[in-house]
Amino acid sequence: MIWRYGAWTAAHPLPLGSVEYAPAGRPVRAGDVIAAGTTYGQPVRVAAARRLGVAPADLARVMHVPPGAQVERGAIIARTGRRFARAVSAPIDGRLAHVRADGDIELAPVLDRWTVRSTLDGVVRSSDTSEVVVEGLAWGLQGLAGYGPNAIGGLALAVTGPSDELQPSRIDVRQRGRILIGGGRSGAEGISRAHACGVSAVVAGSVPASGLRVVFGDEAGAHGAVSRSDAPTFLCLLGFGTGRLPAELFAPLAALDGARAAIHSATARLFVFAPPDAVNVGAVAPSLALLAEWGATRPLDGPAALSGDVTFPSEITAPAVMVDDGPIPAANVLSLGAPRD
Amino acid sequence: MTVSTGLQATVDVAHEAGSSRTGPRVDGADLRVGAGVPLRLALLVERDQRNIASAHAVALGANADVVLALATTSQASVIDRATALRDARPDAVLAVADRGDARGLVELIEALRLGCGDRPRSISLLVAADESARARLAASAGPIDVEAIPAPTGARAREAIVARLRAMRRGDADVVLRDEAIEAAARAIAAATSLSALVIDVDGATTSLAFALPDGGLTAVHSQIGIGSGADRVVARAGVERVRRWIPRPIDAPALLDRVFNRARWPEAVPTGVLALALEMALARESVAHVLREAGRAGLDLASLRNAHRVVATGRLARFPRVAQTALVAVDALATEVTQLLSRERHDALIVAGAIATRSTAPIADAIEDIALVTAVRPKRDTSLTVIDANGTIAERVARGAFFLIPTSGAARLELPGSAGRHAAGPLALGVIVDARGRPLELPQRDAERIPTIARWSAAIAALPIDGGAL
Repeated sequence: MIWRYGAWTAAHPLPLGSVEYAPAGRPVRAGDVIAAGTTYGQPVRVAAARRLGVAPADLARVMHVPPGAQVERGAIIARTGRRFARAVSAPIDGRLAHVRADGDIELAPVLDRWTVRSTLDGVVRSSDTSEVVVEGLAWGLQGLAGYGPNAIGGLALAVTGPSDELQPSRIDVRQRGRILIGGGRSGAEGISRAHACGVSAVVAGSVPASGLRVVFGDEAGAHGAVSRSDAPTFLCLLGFGTGRLPAELFAPLAALDGARAAIHSATARLFVFAPPDAVNVGAVAPSLALLAEWGATRPLDGPAALSGDVTFPSEITAPAVMVDDGPIPAANVLSLGAPRD
Repeated sequence: MTVSTGLQATVDVAHEAGSSRTGPRVDGADLRVGAGVPLRLALLVERDQRNIASAHAVALGANADVVLALATTSQASVIDRATALRDARPDAVLAVADRGDARGLVELIEALRLGCGDRPRSISLLVAADESARARLAASAGPIDVEAIPAPTGARAREAIVARLRAMRRGDADVVLRDEAIEAAARAIAAATSLSALVIDVDGATTSLAFALPDGGLTAVHSQIGIGSGADRVVARAGVERVRRWIPRPIDAPALLDRVFNRARWPEAVPTGVLALALEMALARESVAHVLREAGRAGLDLASLRNAHRVVATGRLARFPRVAQTALVAVDALATEVTQLLSRERHDALIVAGAIATRSTAPIADAIEDIALVTAVRPKRDTSLTVIDANGTIAERVARGAFFLIPTSGAARLELPGSAGRHAAGPLALGVIVDARGRPLELPQRDAERIPTIARWSAAIAALPIDGGAL
């Protein structure tokens, strides 16, 4: 969980109904459409092979349009013979969603169109109908958990300091399309208002877990909840409950105010597209402590020293870190870059 | 004179952060115990209720994460089903067909090909169907390879499928999966004591119950929930209120959720105060209770599991600071209806013994310590029981709703009135726990009644450092 400039990879899974996708090797920018497709309605099953009197395995040979193609009502899908021709035509406007093993065709009406946008400036490394993987250089910040769909926009500082909570009153439609930096904490109201105002995403140190469940549903857990639907995007950097961003994390965010950025929800990463020398980041990751009986996180920025075993009120004896306001179990202090899974 | 001490295996046991080593070697380990790779499993089942239950039993046995279960009885279209399968991203699909009629399952397999057929190499499709049906299903699966498995309705067939799924989780041939070690430990205990044995393992990411009979029969259920990284899944599946009800002080659901979520993303976090410790205990209770409910839904024999003669706690459940905390959690979660001997493993010792037992024989006597004889009684009116230990005989009256501990010294014998019989045990860390709270164990709804009740039960066996009901 610390800033790094370097090569990053972002995988973009595609929904059902892909029509086109960027080929491997194509350069892309964050926000570019790298795949597009259609969403299907209730399909109609067409008995193609049986009506034509061919074996299911031979259906491909007599089809006039390939699987996945879009057809209008009445269009010939498959046809056999010359003088005594037999044909199968489309009963509705739609796409040939699926050719079944028994030779039937699932023809589905097109309800809507979808697009998938790149979350990185870079090059398409691999692509097929299931996934497009983009690789590129960027400033990257590994967060704790991502919620909602991927998001792209310019960074906008919405707080004045690393301890501040994102106030809903500071959010308005002028921030449409931006990624808001929400400081130490953002509540459900802030996330919801940001979404209502057209804000692309909110990034903050911590968030109340109950608020997450209000916004993203009861399925939202501590490990994130990725969706493709029209939902807010939130990137949690440190933990749940209350918290404060370490200066080492907040200062680069403030310095990158206005830069183009993207959030890749599945990996909980913020990518910022700025030159390598845009910010200075320290070589040593700050330490983060879990406090208040697991109810809050806080950066350890005062004097701290390892001590021997301490017996805590829970009667657990464990190595401790001594700070100004008493001992903390050493296990409850982690480097910001340490794995949290 | 040269004395041979025999060969002793060195075993590494993986935990949330790092691992612990048991054995003489310092350069490496002979065996490694780990959770393996998470396996996302989709279930495609025909209409028969037994198929659904047996497929779930396989998933529980293999510690697979069921990401989607589709039945042929649903009215969803092939598009809806394919979308659900694509979004679920399964690593393996278990398809169970009715005898002689695979038409419904063909529809589900067609949806699987539509949804996931563009990444066929990343999916294993295991099909339980007769030969002719399997040929039809294979044709529908297209590029997805079909692997034949026996129908999972019998115990032996289930074991074979579980072994196949575990091979997908194992990743490395040297790794002994934690659930395998627990099952081997349960078998070893049952064989050594000639009594039915239940090993309850609650760890950071998983919860397991392995019930073994002296003849080698085994029923095991495992789930990807726990009191560490799996803590948020306990709340998601059991509900926050079920966890909150066990906390012996007023705490609102949002404050509890923050703590659960932080614990889930903080490997090996130590509870500093009694509240966090009580939360760990609550999560452990609900983890076990949830796995029991899942076992019941899968058609497994719950009564046998609950009423095993011997119960051994392992993992984090065995490492609470007070032995009474392990006992209280096990008693509350299991809600036995008989008398059983409750033990806990010494630090990782039973897991290590179980791992060795998967390859050869392993002594388990030194791996566990006996905590208590737990007796569940349901007196219609006040009754009495007798405990005989090294200090003499103690007769105690038992009223309905009572829950208390009779500390013992040395070997202990419990005599119950009527035909309930006598039960003996060696030295016990706690003594005899008498549970007359009734079954199912019900907690008052209102905090004003619930909190004193929980505090009273904790105080009865000195499970928490609480005074007068306040933490």
